[in-house]
Amino acid sequence: MALIGSARRSRATRVPPVVLAFVLVPLLAEAFWVFWPAMQGFYLSLTSWDGLAAPTFVGLGNFSEMLHDAVFRTAAINTVLWLLLFGGLSAVLGLGAALLLQQERRGIGFYRAALFLPVVFSLVATALVWQAMYQPEGLINNVLSAVGLDGWRHAWLADQDTAFYAVIVPALWRQVGYVMVLYLAGLKGIDPVLYEAAKVDGASRLQQFRHITLPQLRSVNAVVLSVIVIDSLRSFDVVWALTRGGPYHSSELLSTYMYSTAFQSLRLGYGSALAVVIFVLAFGVIASYLVRAFREAD
Amino acid sequence: MTAFNATRRRFLVGAGAVGAGALLSGCVTQSPSASGGKSGGPVTLQSNLSSPQAKTAMQAVVAAYAERGGDGARLNTVAAETFRTQLPTYLTSANPPDVYTWYPGSVAESYAKKDLLLDLDDIWEQPELAGYSDALKKLCTSASSGKKVFVPTSYYWWGMFYRKSNFAKWGVQEPRTWDEFLDLCDKLKSKGVAPIGLGAGGDTPWVASAWFDYLDIRVNGATYHRELLAGKHRFDDPEVRKVFDRWDEARPYFDPNGTAIPFQDATTALLQGRTGMMLIGTFFADAAPKDALDDLDFFQFPIIDPKVPVAEEAPTDGYFASARTKRADGVKELLRYLAGAESQELYLKNSSGTALPTHPDAKDAGTPLVLKGRKLIESAEDVTQFFNRDSSDALQPTADTALVHYLAKPKEIGSILTTWQRGAQKIWSQ
Repeated sequence: MALIGSARRSRATRVPPVVLAFVLVPLLAEAFWVFWPAMQGFYLSLTSWDGLAAPTFVGLGNFSEMLHDAVFRTAAINTVLWLLLFGGLSAVLGLGAALLLQQERRGIGFYRAALFLPVVFSLVATALVWQAMYQPEGLINNVLSAVGLDGWRHAWLADQDTAFYAVIVPALWRQVGYVMVLYLAGLKGIDPVLYEAAKVDGASRLQQFRHITLPQLRSVNAVVLSVIVIDSLRSFDVVWALTRGGPYHSSELLSTYMYSTAFQSLRLGYGSALAVVIFVLAFGVIASYLVRAFREAD
Repeated sequence: MTAFNATRRRFLVGAGAVGAGALLSGCVTQSPSASGGKSGGPVTLQSNLSSPQAKTAMQAVVAAYAERGGDGARLNTVAAETFRTQLPTYLTSANPPDVYTWYPGSVAESYAKKDLLLDLDDIWEQPELAGYSDALKKLCTSASSGKKVFVPTSYYWWGMFYRKSNFAKWGVQEPRTWDEFLDLCDKLKSKGVAPIGLGAGGDTPWVASAWFDYLDIRVNGATYHRELLAGKHRFDDPEVRKVFDRWDEARPYFDPNGTAIPFQDATTALLQGRTGMMLIGTFFADAAPKDALDDLDFFQFPIIDPKVPVAEEAPTDGYFASARTKRADGVKELLRYLAGAESQELYLKNSSGTALPTHPDAKDAGTPLVLKGRKLIESAEDVTQFFNRDSSDALQPTADTALVHYLAKPKEIGSILTTWQRGAQKIWSQ
C-alpha cells in the first residue's frame, strides 16, 4: 500500500515530456536567437571593433568615453525628453480622445476610426508623409502663408531649434490613436452604476472623473505606461526617416546615435556600448515600474 | 481517447520535428562552412545603383551577359544607403555575394588590407583591361599587397551645373575665376534667384562635402587634401580654416533651403529655375527628365589661386569581388565582360549617358556635355575622387555633421572644426 502510494506520488510530480518540450523548445529558440546575440552584444561593448578586423578588448573604455561624449549627452537628454513629451502627451491626448469619443452617438465610429487610422500605417510611411509636409515648400509652410503667417515659415526639419519637436509630432499623431483605443476599452469596463450613484450624490463631472474614472482606469494605466515606455525607448524609425538625428545631432536619440555610430562610423564596439545603455535604461524603467505596480497590487 | 492521444502525440512529434528543422536550418545559415559550398551557378552581383535609369542599365548589361552563355549573373539591387552600411557585413560573411558595385582607391584599400577582396591581377593582363591608363591601374592596385583588386568601368565629373536657357534668360555667362563667380552670384541674386543650390538635406548631407573638397583642392591643392583626409593633417589647422574663409564669401548666395532638401529636390529646383547653379556630379542626370538633359551645361569650379595646380573631382566607379567567393572563375569572367567596351557602351546607352567609360575603345554618349566633361578631366593636372572615397565611409558622417553645422552657424566654425577633428580622430585611431 505504501509502495503504491509513493509510486503514485512520483507519477504525479513528474513533469510530462510534452510539457517539458513546450517549455524547453521555445527556451532553446529564445536562447539561440535572443539571449546569445544579447550576450554577444554585451561582449562587443567591451571591445573596439570596426566590423572587419577582430575586435580588441578595451574593458570599460567605451563606457568611460561616453562620459566625455557631448553627442551622447545630447542623445541621452533627448531620449529622456522624448520619454516625457512623447509619453506624457500621448497618454494625455489618448485619454482625452477616449473621454471625448466614449459616448455612443451617431457617426462616432467614424471619428474613432479616423483617430486610429495612423496606427495602421508603418512609422516609416508616416514619416515620409510628414517629411513631405515639413518640406520648405510643403503643406505646412504653404498653409502658414495662406493664412498670412509668412513669418512662421520654417525649414522645420533642418533647424536645430525645431527638428526635435517636429519629429515628435508624427510619432504622437500615430500613438494617440493607439492609446485612445486602450483607454476606450478601459472606460467601457467601468460600471455605469458608479456614475449614477455619483450623480445622485451631486458629484460634478470633474469630481466623477477624479474619483471614479481615474481610479477605475488604474489597470489600463499600467498597460499604457508599459507601452509608452517601450515605444519611447525603441523610437528610431520615425527619427531616422525624418532627420537621421540631425541637424548636427539636435534630434539625436540614443537609438539613432547607436545606429549611426555602429553602422555609419563603423565603431561597432562603441555602438554596442550604447545599446547596453539603452537596454539598462529600458529594463530599469520597466522593472522599477512593475515592482511598484506589483507592490500596490499586493 | 486512445486515438486522440495517438493523434496528439503524432502532432507534437511532427511539430517538434518542424521546430528542430527550423532551428537546424537557422544553424546552417549561421554556419561558416555551409551553403556557400556550391561553386557553380550564376555569379551574384550586388548593386547599389538603384535610381531607375541606372537600374535599368544594369539589368540590360546582366541580360546581355547571360546571352553569351554560361552560368550568367544574378543582379541584386540594394538601396544605396543600405548597401553602404551592409558592405562590411557582406564581405566578412562566410557566404558573401560574389561581385559588388563600389569604389577604388582608399575605399577598396580598407577592405584589401584585411584580405577581403579577390586578387584580380590575372584579369588585368587580359585584352579587355590591357589598354587601361596607368592612372587607372594605380587607382585599382592595393597599396598594401601590390595586387589589383578593382575593375573600373566608368567615371564621372563634378561641375557647376546650370540650364543654358536660364543663363541666357538672365543674361549671364560662365565664370572662370572666383571673383567672376561671386559677381555672377550677385547678378543672379539681384534677379530674385537663389544663386547656388545645394541639396544637403534629407538623406544626402554628403553633397556638402563636394564644396569642402573643391574649396580645399583650389586653396590648398589636391596633395594636401588627400593627406588631410588620410589623417596626416588636422581639421582645425589654419589651412582648413582658409577653406571656410572662402566658403564664407560664397555662403550668402546659397539657397536658404540648401540643408533642408535632398539633392534630388535641389536638382528639381535647378531645372525649374528656382536656383541658378549647383555643384553636383553627373549622376543626378539619372533622375532628370530626358528633355532637360539637352539644356544642361556646366562650368569648372572657379579657380581661386592660379598657383595651385588644377585638380578636378572625377570619381571612378566599378566592381570588386569578395575574396571568399566560391565562384572565382565565374567572377573573373563577369568582370572581364564588364571591363570590355561592349558592356560599358551598353550601360551608357541605357542610363542617362552622362558618365564616361573607362575602356579606351568604348564610345561615350558623344553629346556636347559629355565631350566637355571628358575635356575637363583630361586637362586636369590631378584628379581626386570624393570625400568618402579619398578618406573612408566611416569619416563621411563626421564631415556631414560639421558642414551642415557650419552652414547653419558659420560663426561657430572654430568649435566646429575642433569637434570635427575629435570625431575624425576616433575613426583614424580604430
